[in-house]
Amino acid sequence: MNERPDAARIRFEQVNVTYPNGYRGLKDVSLTIEPGEMVAVVGLSGAGKSTLVRTINGLVPITDGEITVGEHRLRGLRGSRLRELRSEVGMIFQSFNLARRTTVLNNVLMGRLHHTATWRTLVGAWRADDVELAMQALERVEIVQKAYAPAAELSGGQQQRVAIARTLAQQPRIVLADEPVASLDPPTSHVVMRDLQRINQELGITVVVNLHFLDLARRYGTRLIGLRAGEVVYDGPGAGADESVFESIYGRSLTAEDVLDSRPVELA
Amino acid sequence: MTRPAPVASTGPGAGQGGGRDAVRAASPLRPVRPRTRWKSLVAVLVIAGITAWAAVTIQVDPADLVRNGGNAVNTLIQLVQPDYTFFPQTLDALGQTVQMAVIGTAIGVALSLPLSFLASRATNPDATSYRVVRFVMNVIRAVPDLLYASIFVTAIGVGALSGIVALVLFNLGIMVKLISEALDGVDRGGQEAALAAGGTWLKADRAAMLPEISPAFLSQTIYVLELNIRASTVLGLVGAGGLGMLIDKVRTFYEYHYLSLVIFEILALVIALDLLSSYVRGRIVR
Repeated sequence: MNERPDAARIRFEQVNVTYPNGYRGLKDVSLTIEPGEMVAVVGLSGAGKSTLVRTINGLVPITDGEITVGEHRLRGLRGSRLRELRSEVGMIFQSFNLARRTTVLNNVLMGRLHHTATWRTLVGAWRADDVELAMQALERVEIVQKAYAPAAELSGGQQQRVAIARTLAQQPRIVLADEPVASLDPPTSHVVMRDLQRINQELGITVVVNLHFLDLARRYGTRLIGLRAGEVVYDGPGAGADESVFESIYGRSLTAEDVLDSRPVELA
Repeated sequence: MTRPAPVASTGPGAGQGGGRDAVRAASPLRPVRPRTRWKSLVAVLVIAGITAWAAVTIQVDPADLVRNGGNAVNTLIQLVQPDYTFFPQTLDALGQTVQMAVIGTAIGVALSLPLSFLASRATNPDATSYRVVRFVMNVIRAVPDLLYASIFVTAIGVGALSGIVALVLFNLGIMVKLISEALDGVDRGGQEAALAAGGTWLKADRAAMLPEISPAFLSQTIYVLELNIRASTVLGLVGAGGLGMLIDKVRTFYEYHYLSLVIFEILALVIALDLLSSYVRGRIVR
């Protein structure tokens, strides 16, 4: 694993999340994610995958326990300290979350918001080196020729790659991806997953990715975390996850709906 | 993602195909059409009732139309014969009307932008400032433009300045209402991403929310300019400058040949603006 000295370790200590409506998103979750890992989180919908990922950058506040990301303690983290943490953690969303009416470049520059003065943001005067950084990020995901096109004109796969460029512009230590391929067709899903794999392997950025499909999780994740009803029921290498492991995660045996490519999954 | 064809299916779900060859009868799952017609009937009756009640209590007597018909005919005959020689004398007032509308729109629209962001739950996380701005804007919107004009004519004096101030308040009321509602309806994905990247609400709103509403903002600005041209012709009736003051003058002396020219000018102005606004809107909004 190619470890960067400033990459952050993520540590969950008996974390509980209870939503205002009483729903328990996470129950007593304890785990450690080392810098440079590529972790795939799997489970049924409602199992707590999104909650787990979204607690890491404070989008979902934790009710109990503690999460440490590098030197940041998340419990009760607010204001400028929370924004500082978020600037170090990139996030990719299922629905891409681009501002559709502005240009691709402006969307990527949003990754620089934390480091940009408020007056510069208000008048739209981005710094030249931030623009350069954004262009480089677009080059990395091979979509730089679209820099001045409105985001709405791009296809779903292209939009998701712009979103990846936006997180790269943050120069993050960690990238979180919440169902990044759930709105994409199978070939495009693989393109986006390979982009995530590349930023993990080439830049040493920790990647935590939620996936609905088991074959994608096993193929791209070096580590698999299985959630069921808010609890961790499997934590180990993807290759070690056999039929019984999947039954413990899904509460039943595998069906064609659990895999992206409609050929049967070969279980090791 | 699709299930494999039933023939290939050997999994636990394979035993469900029993009814496949049965005649297609209406499934018991098919819902009965909800009965909502009586609701529409009640709604129509209620609205008709309210209208009749309003007409009766406001003491409208249609017979007046016939009784005073003679006067109306005389006035109408004069009105369809505009006196074009009066045109040069209207130019000053015409120019003032347009100037009032443009200045009033510019100031009102500029002030409305930050207030709109404060007046939308989508862009303002602070409940206190949200409520205060909403309340003040409701008060501002409750007062009609003509009333503003007469208040400011009393406070500031007769002339275009009173008209402009009245228009600014009128515009604030409309713009903040329309734009804050546009913000409420916009997709907030970009904002969520900007916040997740460590931006403040102000930065996220500027970077991700403003571009989403800017076509609506420009389109409403043109609409407000149109309203202001119409309004500024009337504001003069209470002394707030523009064509309205001219209307008031010629009307007082029953100079309907002149009055009809002024009305004609307003019509031309509004049509010209309508053409301009549909042209600009067509280019901006996609």
